[in-house]
Amino acid sequence: MNEDVHAPAIELAGATRTYGSGTPEEVLALRDVDLGIPAGEFLSVEGPSGCGKTTLLNLIGLLDAPTSGEVRWDGRAVGTLTDRERSRRRLRGVGFIFQRFYLLPTLTARENVELPMRALRIPRAERVRRASELLGEVGLGGRERAFPHQISGGEEQRVAIARALANRPGVLLADEPTGELDSGNTRAILDLLVRVRGDRNATLILVTHNPEVARRARRHLTMRDGRVVGDVSGA
Amino acid sequence: MIGFGRGRSLRHLRLQVVLAIAAVGAAVALPVVLVSVGGGVSAHELANLENAGYQIVVSAGGLHGIEGAHALSEKIRSIGSVTVASPVLSVAIDAYSPSGSVSPVLAEGVIPGEFTPTLGPTESGLFPSPLPLGDPSDARHYANGSYAGPATYDVLISTPYEAASGARVGDQIVLSPTANRSLGTEYNVTGTFGVPPTILGPIGAFAVLVPLSDLQVLTGYGPLPQSSVFDAADTVQVAVTGSVATDPSALSAVQGQVQALVPFYSVSSLTQEAEQLQSATSVLTGFYLALSSVGLTVGLLFLALVLLRRVETDRRSIGVRRALGIPGASIVAGLLRDGLVLALLGAAAGLLGGYVIVEGLARWATSTVQEAAQLAIFDPVILGEIVAGVAGLSLLASAVAARAALHVEITEALR
Repeated sequence: MNEDVHAPAIELAGATRTYGSGTPEEVLALRDVDLGIPAGEFLSVEGPSGCGKTTLLNLIGLLDAPTSGEVRWDGRAVGTLTDRERSRRRLRGVGFIFQRFYLLPTLTARENVELPMRALRIPRAERVRRASELLGEVGLGGRERAFPHQISGGEEQRVAIARALANRPGVLLADEPTGELDSGNTRAILDLLVRVRGDRNATLILVTHNPEVARRARRHLTMRDGRVVGDVSGA
Repeated sequence: MIGFGRGRSLRHLRLQVVLAIAAVGAAVALPVVLVSVGGGVSAHELANLENAGYQIVVSAGGLHGIEGAHALSEKIRSIGSVTVASPVLSVAIDAYSPSGSVSPVLAEGVIPGEFTPTLGPTESGLFPSPLPLGDPSDARHYANGSYAGPATYDVLISTPYEAASGARVGDQIVLSPTANRSLGTEYNVTGTFGVPPTILGPIGAFAVLVPLSDLQVLTGYGPLPQSSVFDAADTVQVAVTGSVATDPSALSAVQGQVQALVPFYSVSSLTQEAEQLQSATSVLTGFYLALSSVGLTVGLLFLALVLLRRVETDRRSIGVRRALGIPGASIVAGLLRDGLVLALLGAAAGLLGGYVIVEGLARWATSTVQEAAQLAIFDPVILGEIVAGVAGLSLLASAVAARAALHVEITEALR
């Protein structure tokens, strides 16, 4: 499916995120990170647990705001947006893919994919058409009425990818998307992510601690202790 | 929407949700029963008042407190625009049937010719007209206060008593002021009368009607030795001409004239009594609703707790929705809708439960409770107010949970 989307250029300038400031449990999750991510970039972020990968992803995806420094989308600071404005931007501009899929268990595969479209008040017929199309694209045509507990982990992640694509976002954020999958499914999901990103010219940021997965990206970041310690662009 | 607001999700309802519905249902059923039965009884009594054939009532403190009833009625009748003044004495006595069985009955002593016009449209169909009690004006036996004239010894019996005792028209029964047949007097059954729907119970249904002076003599509430007569009654029911009956100021003027005749007795109009009854009914309805609000509060607290628990167990689901960009307002709306759906399901269950309880009481309860339940009125306005109240309070209960949902930290919920 070829449908170019608007992918914003993303920048982090001195972004720092501290949890529990001023308490004995204070954690400096991200330290003074400067990073530029051009539109349409395919970036992997690798590093050990607790190095700040997910925090970085949360800041980029507007799930969280930096304690200091700035996050910019197309040159405009987004870290200080209100909760409502950040929600709106996430809904229209970001597709999340989580390690544990996080499908809603009471909804069918198609309804899970429809969920972000419902929030945009897209008419039902259009929602159903698009959701069916997306499920077909991720190889789940015919499983539309299945509930999450009725499908495999690999299939759940495909549904989650279809859900992430529902509102045609410019940015896809995948946090350990293959962390719960076997090697066969890992390859298949990675192929799928690469393909859907390429079809749309979307930015894909993939957090992983699997070097093999990280190598699939065009650009590769390495993080340690809240800092970016490596930034390598591949072929 | 958190998870149980949609049809399919109802499959995932848990015990706590069912209990919340049951709690709200029980809280709604209580006022439905109380208000419907209480309102029905009041409406019935009100209808009786409004349909009565008289408009003014004279009464005195204590039992059988009106003295000189015949003479007083005569004086009242002399007031212009008064058409009827009917003294009534009600005394519980014993009746011995032809078969010898004894039953307590409510005996009413009336002046036959005065009593009939005071019957309302419903009651008048239950009595023979004219009353076959021999002496329409009760003047012969009363004999100008001497009670020296011949008594008719005629009695009308109620149809329930007729059925229970086996006494028939033409039979003779013995009426006695005490449970001693030898102190009684033999009466000829000259007719029967029906008993209107009442909440008085079987005592009211077993009744006899005799001339006033007969009952006074029989029970000792008649002549006093030597000095002036006692001539007792409980009330004197006064009817006025049609134009006065429908004119509150004219009726009030007649009421004043009657009051002037009996300054130490109470003189009230049925309009006033109806107003008092309506006022008492409103107070009672308010009291029932206030009483029920305790149960309702408990039910809705339970609902709030269920929704709060739901938010707690659905933290991840809420976090995922918010991460996807679904606005907080949408999540709040979902919770409010869920709370409303639960409360309305509870309210529907309560309405149905209340209806079933009232119907059950009307069929299977005993005596007074059964009769009261049979009079129940399911007023859609009051029931609608109860449901609206439940809906409003459920939104408050849901708002507590909604507030908690908005405080769910997305990044925490997704860990």
